[in-house]
Amino acid sequence: MRQALVRISRIDADLTPLIDLAFLLIVFFVLVARMSGEQLPAIPLPQPNAVAATPAGTARRLAVNVLAEDGGAVLMLGGERFAADSSGLDRLASAIARRLRSDPTVPVDIRADRSLAYRFVEPAIHAITAAGTQAGARVTIRVCALQAEGGKP
Amino acid sequence: MNSTRAVGGTRVRLAMTPMIDVVFLLLVFFVCTVRFERNEAVYTLDLPQRGRTADPLALQERALVIRIGARASDAVPIDVQADGLRERLGSFDALAAALMRVRRGDAADGNNAGLFVADHPVLITPTSDCGWQDAVDAFNAAVRAGFRNIGFARSGA
Repeated sequence: MRQALVRISRIDADLTPLIDLAFLLIVFFVLVARMSGEQLPAIPLPQPNAVAATPAGTARRLAVNVLAEDGGAVLMLGGERFAADSSGLDRLASAIARRLRSDPTVPVDIRADRSLAYRFVEPAIHAITAAGTQAGARVTIRVCALQAEGGKP
Repeated sequence: MNSTRAVGGTRVRLAMTPMIDVVFLLLVFFVCTVRFERNEAVYTLDLPQRGRTADPLALQERALVIRIGARASDAVPIDVQADGLRERLGSFDALAAALMRVRRGDAADGNNAGLFVADHPVLITPTSDCGWQDAVDAFNAAVRAGFRNIGFARSGA
């Protein structure tokens, strides 16, 4: 009688490279998502006493940044800078309109330096309104402020 | 570094390189995802919707206008103007309190004597040299008072 030969083989699953690769993919996607998103530069936003606003959350938004510079203001959308003159505001309106055409529901946030006078922020509001008209979209304009530490007082 | 130790007669080999690799990856991941920004809050501006009113005979509502002037030392001139109302205030807390008084509440909050419903348009009208902080403070006071349709007017309008 022939004896059956049973070959026992061990399969070792080495999980380390697998986890390694998974983390690499996660890091890659996080970085790509951040780069493609709108840039939010650190701006000293207005900070009212008892903030009654709603948290901005993490939902997608367009941010028009109004920065104080050389006694005036510079507007930014993503990484692009726009002068606060009429041609710069027209370019800003066109840039917002392009984005609104691809997603008409995205809110447009005004992030302005609290030290600026209203006359420097006002053109941003008009540019966003003009962009809504150009894109044929009912644009939602929001004003950003800082929430007090620890949420609503 | 000795990564091989004898445990109960068997030798256990610890591969340190992939371990450090994963630890560094975790570190990079947390560095990338952490946010040091402070909490941001948003106020939604009310924009006029053309042709919204179906009834052509409906009365146009006159907005409750809040005029904000330029800050002089520590005081901000705040004027509240509407039909049957004209008040000068010196702080945003006083503005919030004044707006709460004139907003008509529902049966639950007991203020049925107010002149304006929560949906009544409120127009913040800062002067051109008024600070953005003060303009947002005025907006915040109106939100605190329970008004919902708040917008910014052209400066000096």
